[in-house]
Amino acid sequence: MGQIASIMAIKVLAFAGSPRRGGNSETLLDWVLDAMKKEGDVEIEKIALTEADVHPCKGCNACEVLNKCVQRDGMDILHDKIIEADCMVLAAPIYCMGICSQAKALIDRFQVFRSRKFVLKLPVVPPERKGKRLGVFLSTAGQDWDHVFNGAVPSVKCFYHVVEIRDADIHYLMINNVDEKGAILNHPSAKADAERLGHDVIRELQGRLSE
Amino acid sequence: MDVNVMGISGSPHRHGNTETLLDAFLDGAAEEGAGIEKVILKKLDYSPCRGCNTCHKTGVCIMEDDAPPLFDRILSMDCIAVASPIYSMGITAELKGLIDRAQYLWAKKFVLKTLYFPNEHIQRHKGVFISTAGLSWDNVFDAAFPAITAFFNTIGFEYYDNIIANDMDKYNGIKGHPTALDEARDKGRRVVKEIRSL
Repeated sequence: MGQIASIMAIKVLAFAGSPRRGGNSETLLDWVLDAMKKEGDVEIEKIALTEADVHPCKGCNACEVLNKCVQRDGMDILHDKIIEADCMVLAAPIYCMGICSQAKALIDRFQVFRSRKFVLKLPVVPPERKGKRLGVFLSTAGQDWDHVFNGAVPSVKCFYHVVEIRDADIHYLMINNVDEKGAILNHPSAKADAERLGHDVIRELQGRLSE
Repeated sequence: MDVNVMGISGSPHRHGNTETLLDAFLDGAAEEGAGIEKVILKKLDYSPCRGCNTCHKTGVCIMEDDAPPLFDRILSMDCIAVASPIYSMGITAELKGLIDRAQYLWAKKFVLKTLYFPNEHIQRHKGVFISTAGLSWDNVFDAAFPAITAFFNTIGFEYYDNIIANDMDKYNGIKGHPTALDEARDKGRRVVKEIRSL
């Protein structure tokens, strides 16, 4: 059967969360995505949040009843892509000890999935896809403190949990002490780590999807 | 001396749990004779920080919107209460958007070194964080603190206190919470007294 059924391309949905195009966090993302492309049949879509028209959550809680958001904006086209992705990658810089506000707006708009899952008790993804989705969080920070990412990680976990990507299935690569645009190019290990991560995530997905 | 207190509501939801808790704090401050004002971020027009780092050279933000005048006003206050509900384990995008825009003040302090707050200034300027969360977890506010700490540090305010209440879903809102509103009112009174005593 396995030989007859055509294997679908692995779908990767990547968010470049930084307002600065081509900066450190997006460079890290591009390294990961380039490595993923080399792993065979991988369909990658990269969304730059600064151009994606995703507004903050209004906190109206209407999604707890309607099972959809009342706002009509860039999330309308992202919604189905988020559900269909086998791997969702979020790249965002740390500003003022937290994830940049553009990425936080996207995370908060996942409230519609949270309502679907926990309030309406409806499936966010078909049951057979649970455990077959992976998340990647990439981040960069100008500060050299080790704890500079601590404020961002809990929100990132929420982001993935509500779309059925478990804690154990989130991969992290967070690089501190890179501030000015391009600083990451001089980092001793970031590029190699990013490439290894891209490779490992696709191999892991290939394994899980063929189970 | 006159004490001026500003409350900044970062909730997109008007008169919800967080803003009600902020109101109690401001009422307490007013009872103690402080001048109070409240800013509702969702009514203002400001964009998120673009990360262009121009301010690292000029000390001025290139965006001409409501954020720089608000920071001028914030810097003239004696006490700032920053309020946000917890969404997805963090502060709202509205409040984070404002905090990120303080980058030009950070640049003036740490890059250009044209802005400096002596310790006596910091001690006389008090920052309070006000928050509510639906979840019952004790750690639900933890990821918000670093950004609030960084913000107060940037604007030269001492991080004086938190007024936080979790488990809103259980209490059916802040008005059902046994102690939070009284605590907020007390802390509003106390911070004004303390600033006056300095």
